[in-house]
Amino acid sequence: MHWINWLIVIVYLAYMIIDGIRKSKDTDTIEGYFLASKSLPWWVVGLSVMATQLSAITMIGTTGQGATEGLRFVQFYFGLPIAMVILGVTLVPFLHGSGVYTAYEYLERRFDAKTRSLTAFLFLLSRGMSAGTIMAAPGVVLSAIFGFPLVWSVAIIGIPTVIYTMIGGVQAVAWADVKQMVLIVVALVGIVAVLIFQMPVSPDDALRIAGATGRLKTFDFSFNLTETYTFWSGIIGGTFLMLSYFGTDQSQVQRYLTAKSVDEARSSLLMSAYWKIPLQALVLLLGVGVFVYYQFVRPPLLFNPAHEMAVEAERGAAYDALQTRYESTFTLREGAARSVADADDGASEAAAMEAFVAREAEIQVIRGEALAMAEEVTGESSRDVNYIIPRFVLSELPIGLTGLFIAGVLAAAMSSIAAELNSLATTSVIDFYRRWWKPEADDAHYLKVSKYATGLWGAFACVVAVYAATLGSLIEVVNRFGSFFYGSILGVFLLAMTSRAGGRGAFVGLLAGMGTVAAVTFGAPQVSFLWHNVIGAVTVVVVGMVIGGGPEAAES
Amino acid sequence: MTTDDPTASPPPQSNFKGTLFRVLAVQIVALALLWFLQMRYHA
Repeated sequence: MHWINWLIVIVYLAYMIIDGIRKSKDTDTIEGYFLASKSLPWWVVGLSVMATQLSAITMIGTTGQGATEGLRFVQFYFGLPIAMVILGVTLVPFLHGSGVYTAYEYLERRFDAKTRSLTAFLFLLSRGMSAGTIMAAPGVVLSAIFGFPLVWSVAIIGIPTVIYTMIGGVQAVAWADVKQMVLIVVALVGIVAVLIFQMPVSPDDALRIAGATGRLKTFDFSFNLTETYTFWSGIIGGTFLMLSYFGTDQSQVQRYLTAKSVDEARSSLLMSAYWKIPLQALVLLLGVGVFVYYQFVRPPLLFNPAHEMAVEAERGAAYDALQTRYESTFTLREGAARSVADADDGASEAAAMEAFVAREAEIQVIRGEALAMAEEVTGESSRDVNYIIPRFVLSELPIGLTGLFIAGVLAAAMSSIAAELNSLATTSVIDFYRRWWKPEADDAHYLKVSKYATGLWGAFACVVAVYAATLGSLIEVVNRFGSFFYGSILGVFLLAMTSRAGGRGAFVGLLAGMGTVAAVTFGAPQVSFLWHNVIGAVTVVVVGMVIGGGPEAAES
Repeated sequence: MTTDDPTASPPPQSNFKGTLFRVLAVQIVALALLWFLQMRYHA
């Protein structure tokens, strides 16, 4: 990478850390460290909510998904604005006004200690794991660029992030998020502009080529429980997932608990609702643009450079033969793509598209053979969706923009991980340490323990990160972890708003919800994970209300 | 002693209903654009 790109990366990271620490005023109390003394304006909280969601996984994994599968993933977010509006008028005033540090703390007031502890434990389990996958994404980029082992890359990202989060608390995290969002949007828009400028065909022709392979199909109205991304899974399953995520997940709840007032907390959530779908569509379109660009500029046969080197070393002759087939087929596909662009009437366009799709299928067969070869040689999963955009950025973008993108990926990762670590520490200290071990200590003691907890969670996330990268598309890994518990935890919060259920109903309902989701996951694995949230939440509410034991039942 | 600057602009205030209306408008425009792309270009 050119030294100017390096300079941009180093200057930005240094600025993030120094500014993060500079913003860490008033963090000498537990409320300042975990809730920024409820002093942050709504737009800072709103950008922080967005930045926590928009991690390096979005920059690498989602753009890669756009290149390989097109726009349909955006349906996943259709439920987000609906969920934000529902939360804005229900749970946000509830939690912000109750004076709690964590969402789970509220559950003890309404139900009992074991319900609080179980939900808090599930949060620690799922978010501890997801903090690892969030760290793995930029680890993959660094590994691809420098040929580092993943362990080194994870350490480069993880160690500074842990130090900065330990010192700065939630205030530093939120202000860092603001700058991160600006950088990410600038980098994304810059890349889209460069893509449009460097594309050998017009934007209209580029869209026709993408459309021929189905990559511009956003809406799928089929009601199919086995299809992951459909309009209905997005609207129904997505709404439940987002309600669970933004309503009950401490990493999000803690964002809006730092707002000055209930109204500012609600507005901060709506700010995220504003931009999520357009921004996600832009990210996916960027991936689609890269796919079209690679119709005219030959990309590597294997995007993972480490796998490419391993296959060349061990199966040199076979891989060379595959490369030769790939190069000649690529030339034919390029010609077919140009024919699609040049077609000037309906009949010739249909014929050109048919020929292009056939050539694209041939390329995919060759890629499949190369990936299988890589899997045999390395013994690892050869899925290389997460390497497509990093390779494109490094080889095709002008000096400066490459550095900006890499800085954006690192900053996105650091800020998201920082938010995760901060909320993991909050839950560990407030819901376990202070609740069960040392309820009467002073603020200074809890502050010290909170900083240790942040460090321990950082170490755990680093270990998970080393293994998460081999699990497949990172974005799906994160969502799968969450969907195991999210729906059931949402069900408990829904029960809390009724007067029909008590502690026993909530606890048994929670176990029943998780059991049902586990049964569906293993018994009917073809059911898409987005529906697990609906199944979990509904089961908890039904079982909880049947068992009852709430105030109303007690009165009767 | 400090005095308030009368020319300073006030901090941005949140307005839940106004924001809600704008959220809906942005979503409708975004979905309409995606729908247009699908209708116009999806083979």
